[in-house]
Amino acid sequence: MKQQPKSKIQSKPGFASLTQAKWPVTLVWLIGLILIWELAAFEVAQTKRTPENVLPHLYQIIAAAFSGKKVTNNLTATQVVLINAASTLLRAGQGFVIGVAFGYLLALLMSLSKIVEKIAFPYLMLIQMIPILGMAPIVLSITGDINRSRIVIAAILTFYPIAANCLAGFKAVEPQKHELMYSYGANKFQLYTKTMIPATWPYFFTGLKISAPLAITASILVDTLQGGGGLGSMLSQSLKHAMSVYVFWLIIFFVAFIGMFSFYLMGVLEAWLCPYRKWEKGGNEA
Amino acid sequence: MKNTAGRLKRATGAPASGIAADLNPSERSSESALAEPAAQSGISLSGVSKAYPVNGEMIPVLKNINLDIKQGEFISLVGPSGCGKTTTLRIIADLISPSSGTVLIGGQTPRQARLKRRYGMVFQSAVLYDWRTVIKNVMLPLEIMKLPKQEQQQRAEAMLDMVGLKNYAAHYPGQLSGGMQQRVGIARALALKPDILLMDEPFSALDEFTREKLHEDLLQIWQKTHKTIVFVTHNIAEAVYLSDRVCVMSPHPGRISNIIEIGLPRPRNPQAKTSATFSAYVNLVRSSFEGV
Repeated sequence: MKQQPKSKIQSKPGFASLTQAKWPVTLVWLIGLILIWELAAFEVAQTKRTPENVLPHLYQIIAAAFSGKKVTNNLTATQVVLINAASTLLRAGQGFVIGVAFGYLLALLMSLSKIVEKIAFPYLMLIQMIPILGMAPIVLSITGDINRSRIVIAAILTFYPIAANCLAGFKAVEPQKHELMYSYGANKFQLYTKTMIPATWPYFFTGLKISAPLAITASILVDTLQGGGGLGSMLSQSLKHAMSVYVFWLIIFFVAFIGMFSFYLMGVLEAWLCPYRKWEKGGNEA
Repeated sequence: MKNTAGRLKRATGAPASGIAADLNPSERSSESALAEPAAQSGISLSGVSKAYPVNGEMIPVLKNINLDIKQGEFISLVGPSGCGKTTTLRIIADLISPSSGTVLIGGQTPRQARLKRRYGMVFQSAVLYDWRTVIKNVMLPLEIMKLPKQEQQQRAEAMLDMVGLKNYAAHYPGQLSGGMQQRVGIARALALKPDILLMDEPFSALDEFTREKLHEDLLQIWQKTHKTIVFVTHNIAEAVYLSDRVCVMSPHPGRISNIIEIGLPRPRNPQAKTSATFSAYVNLVRSSFEGV
């Protein structure tokens, strides 16, 4: 049994490394996506009057990205996307950091006190249930500033996955670890710093991976609520033909990429800060 | 009282065969020590009972436990599930308090003994901290005790050396096998330099080969350190092989049905397990269970 896979690797080194490496999967996935997109684009090109509004070919989108043609205010399509992305991502980032901090703090408080948990958790659920579009005017009237309210909304959406995941993390600490600390005569501060808080890191990173892309999409959504910069505003403007429709497609691709990248970044952060996780069962996959 | 009487009868009268002389060697003075008060790190349980409320009714899980564990003794609590062996251990460890009766650990209450870090605890699973390296795991209780960093390091290294894991100090628990993880757990319990080691089925999750290896290691550690060891297990052969005395417990309610002195010579080696005397002890323990 032990020798069989060995000889297989020796006889077909290319095949073995191919099945073990990750990139072939990504490649197949990418080719599949391109194929489906192009098939659909051909179909749209045959049947619709303005196919670029529905589904342009990929090469058209790529060409638009590198074209020097000014679409608005003396800016090319790519410049429009990047300039607006800066303000949207900055707000998303600020909201994300605030949401993560408050989310973790609340999870910690809920873990420390059953009463806090009982009081706070229904509100947490409630906030989660209110649609962002319903929440936005309320937040706007409270903060009185559209940019500040956009940050707050990104924070609110980030907050829940972090708080819920970290609370689950606090609760998942095995009773034996509590007993061990008790048998050492550890005080509450030591219990939390040595056992509880480190034990939540995997849950914390799971929360981060959920909420990082969420903060970005939320930030784009609330951009559309009022004028001013931001990817969301550009999206609606480009759809209204105020500028090239390719701005719309570039934003879609850019956002998809940034969303995935933010997820990936959290994974890298986790691998760096929690090196031990690679030896755990199912570690680094959450 | 009835319990005590039954226990005495069994301990003296039950083995009527030729091995009786082996089982109750008259020259062993420890027999009489049963009646003596516990020594400095001895553990004494008298009249200990525990009941839990279930639907408004108190259900007894432990009834009138009387047990004197001598200083430096290796004693096993053996019995089927629900016999209260783990409950007894947890009462000694101050993890739960008895409904009635008194527990004294070298003259101190379990709470005093715990706060003085007089015992180290080993669980069925190693309960290691994934995010700490092996040596950091062993240093954990020493950090809680706020020992100087230098001493933490030295003690942890010495303990890892004792369990044969000196070369794995920088590894993470996830990189170790189950047996190695349990050794780290033992090293961590020993790092406190406790008088007493409380072990709750520490080897029951391990495979037979690893378990036998760890038996030898544990016996060696015990011989080196002279700790009092209270060892909970449901494995009869394990209890007989390791212990000075085997305390047989029976369920519904949890009680002691017999305490058997193991007359096998020390130091023990794996060959002892094949001897007729060994099997006779195993059979005696097995026949001591009541109501199972």
